Amino acid sequence: MGTSITYYLQEMLRGEWLRKFLFVKTAPYETPPHFRDYPRLTGKECNRCLNCMMICPTPGAIEVLKTEEGWNPVIYPGHCIRCGLCVEACPEGVLMSGRILESQFYENTGYSYTFHLTVDTTRCMRCGNCSVACPINKEEDPQLAAGGTGANDEVIMRVKGGELQILHEEKCTGCKTCEETCPNSAIRVARVIEAIHVAEEEG
Amino acid sequence: MSFLQSIKNTVRSRSIHVSYVNVGSCNGCDIEVLAMLAPRYDIEQYGIYVHNNPREADILLVTGAFTPQWEDKLKSIWDKIPEPKAAIAIGNCPISGCVFNRRGSFVDPPVAKHIPIAAEVPGCPPRPTEILNAVLSLAPVVFKDYEEKQQ
Ligand code: SF4
Ligand code: SF4
Ligand code: SF4
Ligand code: SF4
Repeated sequence: MGTSITYYLQEMLRGEWLRKFLFVKTAPYETPPHFRDYPRLTGKECNRCLNCMMICPTPGAIEVLKTEEGWNPVIYPGHCIRCGLCVEACPEGVLMSGRILESQFYENTGYSYTFHLTVDTTRCMRCGNCSVACPINKEEDPQLAAGGTGANDEVIMRVKGGELQILHEEKCTGCKTCEETCPNSAIRVARVIEAIHVAEEEG
Repeated sequence: MSFLQSIKNTVRSRSIHVSYVNVGSCNGCDIEVLAMLAPRYDIEQYGIYVHNNPREADILLVTGAFTPQWEDKLKSIWDKIPEPKAAIAIGNCPISGCVFNRRGSFVDPPVAKHIPIAAEVPGCPPRPTEILNAVLSLAPVVFKDYEEKQQ
């Protein structure tokens, strides 16, 4: 017993031990580069599709703004939760964060989305404002856009037989012009997002 | 600088008492504050002690988006902290309300509207290192030469 006490005392009075005991600190923790951080610009050109803004779950976290260098997304810390969804949703690879872009490349993942139109028939007055205003309808049937009547079945929606029929939902681009034009808030556009595994379909 | 003041500076730089209050966060930021106590980050090696008594605190860590129940209470906690003191907003919630700040929700961010906030650490949640850096860089600014600055 006596020897072990002397052993400990000897050990603890060594200068090196005392120095360590009093002054050594844990090495500062460096954030590893593969951690997702606030998305940064890669320098690729942004085509202003606004996918990044549409997928962002947080109010006020991302905006696509015009600066001297052109259009680019701007991330606001204090709002952004570093989820990385905008990085994944961007079709042009404008943003990067951690190793999201690499793993997306190796695993061939991406997002596809479609738009779903719902008409509340009890509110809809069959005015046809939506079908006239829709920019896709204008392309498909200029007559409908100009005169309000059209016979073309290629349009997204039109008033026919006393009701508003949705004919080609899949052509909708999600611009929400119809929602804004509708005088009675009868039509709603919903974006349906799917995570997919094929890079070619990436939205 | 007076001798007394330099002693106070030394002591204050080695002993910062931190108290935290959750004014309606999801608990994520509180967990990160807790993680700072773990050996990997080891906040106590810098002389920072986390405990929950505002009367002993120097720095108040505020998490959460400020729910209506805190309207009168946060101010009273802030008033209980003796001078010199500082408050740090931890996470997006006290800065912007983060994902809770939606139309029709009851939260009332930013917390800076209710008590003076000296520093903000964004993130959802911020990393323990980021919180630690904020505390360490704020403390000397607020506490150094406090009495002389008062005069
Ligand atoms: S990382 Fe997430 S929260 Fe931040 S801007 Fe992108 S989508 Fe929004
Ligand atoms: S998703 Fe990409 S290309 Fe589209 S607006 Fe955002 S940054 Fe630009
Ligand atoms: S969202 Fe735009 S494209 Fe889609 S139906 Fe409405 S107006 Fe047409
Ligand atoms: S604009 Fe509105 S009310 Fe008019 S037809 Fe379209 S959905 Fe119905």
